[in-house]
Amino acid sequence: MERAERIHGKLQVSGILVMLGLLVEAICLLWSRPIAFVIFASLGGLLIAAGVLFFLYSLVSSSSSKQIHDN
Amino acid sequence: MPVAAIVALILLSILLAGVLVYRPALTLHPAGKILAFGVLFFLPLFCFMAGMSSEMERSKSTTFCLSCHIMEPYGKSLQVDDPSYLAGAHFQNHRVPADEACYTCHTNYAMFGSFKAKMGGMRHLYVHYLKTEPRPEDVKLHEPYNNRECLHCHLGARSFEQGAVHNADPATLPAVKANALSCVSSGCHDVVHNVGTLDKVKLWNEGK
Repeated sequence: MERAERIHGKLQVSGILVMLGLLVEAICLLWSRPIAFVIFASLGGLLIAAGVLFFLYSLVSSSSSKQIHDN
Repeated sequence: MPVAAIVALILLSILLAGVLVYRPALTLHPAGKILAFGVLFFLPLFCFMAGMSSEMERSKSTTFCLSCHIMEPYGKSLQVDDPSYLAGAHFQNHRVPADEACYTCHTNYAMFGSFKAKMGGMRHLYVHYLKTEPRPEDVKLHEPYNNRECLHCHLGARSFEQGAVHNADPATLPAVKANALSCVSSGCHDVVHNVGTLDKVKLWNEGK
């Protein structure tokens, strides 16, 4: 139960990062100024990358903790 | 992919991610796991790549380049009613695509040329926001203009290969092709934008 809650917490963090990144990207796509291109690629890209990597980390950490638990 | 479609997909992704954030217990079921993978991995990466592609295309447009205040005189120079103004003559006669005029001449037709052009743009933003911006007439190219960019279109063209001035001296054409003699050197096509003298010249299609 505690393990599931931990994974859910990580998924929530990942989801929030992805949502923020996507929000930044949507705003930049609608704002046609040169600075929007930079914000899109840097801040938007960083938030999405962080969200996706955190999601992958949560998958890896959950499977490794399950293995330890099974052993 | 149109911008509106990408934005719609982004909004849908945000909505689905919001559902997962609100109800993470959905991932206890196989369908929820698939949803989590789609929303937290596949869709964000797809949206980023689609958006990046769209932004790259938009950054090639003439209106994008001219949206910076410092570039306004350069946009005006495209309207000069004098065929000796190289940039204006190319723009007005569609020797370059009018909607990608700046990019067509100022990209680098070598490997990673588009990437280098974008990096140059980043440098412009750095100077604009963090340094003292020069006057438009003091803006200089990062490196001397390479003939390769002209020859990308003109090489093999009859007007270029058989032009009287180009062939007056047999050494001229080989030197131009080897980038030893610049196309925009003094006495040749040396009037390009000349933004410092725009107030003295007549404009074509003024106000457009």
